[in-house]
Amino acid sequence: MNTPGDALECGHSLAELSTYLDTGEIADPAHLRSCPECQAGLASLRRLSELGSELLSSDLADAGSGHDDWMQSILDNLRLELRPGRNIPLRTENPHDTLWETEGAITALIRSVADALPGTAAGKCRLHGDLAGGESNTADENSTSGAGIIVDVEIAVVYGHPMEERAAELRRELAKTLAFQTELTIEAINITVTDVLELPATPTPTTPTAAATLPPPEPIPSEREDLP
Amino acid sequence: MTEHLEPASFSPSETSPVAEPHATAPSAVAEELLRVIQAVEGVTAVYPAQPLWQSIAGAAIAAVTGESLPLVAVSGDADPLAVKVRIGVGTVLPAPKVARKVAEAVRNHLLPRPAAVEVYVVKVQPVS
Repeated sequence: MNTPGDALECGHSLAELSTYLDTGEIADPAHLRSCPECQAGLASLRRLSELGSELLSSDLADAGSGHDDWMQSILDNLRLELRPGRNIPLRTENPHDTLWETEGAITALIRSVADALPGTAAGKCRLHGDLAGGESNTADENSTSGAGIIVDVEIAVVYGHPMEERAAELRRELAKTLAFQTELTIEAINITVTDVLELPATPTPTTPTAAATLPPPEPIPSEREDLP
Repeated sequence: MTEHLEPASFSPSETSPVAEPHATAPSAVAEELLRVIQAVEGVTAVYPAQPLWQSIAGAAIAAVTGESLPLVAVSGDADPLAVKVRIGVGTVLPAPKVARKVAEAVRNHLLPRPAAVEVYVVKVQPVS
């Protein structure tokens, strides 16, 4: 289903969800209880707001409006990923049944795993490959959904957190989570650190010299590693 | 497309004896199945099987009456009975296993009438 602009498939936008978090107002609050995409969006915006507050002392409205490049990038990806996406077949025990996971459910899960790591915010999350796997999903075929799925995740890391450690930890967590919660055959999990988020400078009487004592931010690496 | 079965289109003559659980009105069957599905371990939410924005008629009815459509879609006058459900699951149990348990629970509840169960896992998140 095509939706105009930045609207989710249900018609709501991230801006509306952000306003709802900020003010509690939305045209149809009952809808939020019945829409998994909006719920995933609200969860992501809450996490983003928490991180934004830690870093930028910004309020929820600021987080939702995406004034910063890194946050804007995350919001742009959220708009895409909060849609149901493709259907991923699951094995069934009865030939009359059809069982699915939605791609949106899995990317939201990936995002929540990344966001759960300290000092980390998920950016783009993508599943590449044939998720349908031929859509043959009876249990007795002993097949798994998709063949050679590649997971690409971009993250922003708060300055001071070890990037390689974060990337390796996230890869381990995602491998474990996806093996448990999906029947996808994961070929690789690629983690790319796209942003290093600097802590805001603390205003003090000696601000000009204090800032100079901070070590310069490390160059942003672009790490692409496959599963062992 | 699976459609919600309105009470008016329900044909008692096509059902099994009164004692069977599905011999009641389809909306009642949908309500029964909702409780059955919610009782499956690992299920944290049941979402409308047919999102309102995909159903103009449903949206119009809901707007006028203020009533929500059944969360579980039950359709089909012939066997097997078609059941469609969208669920959210927690992370303690594997989502695929929960989906299979839901299909099994629905099927067992509708016995002896055969059913074709369609389950969508649309949310996999830790329970907060």
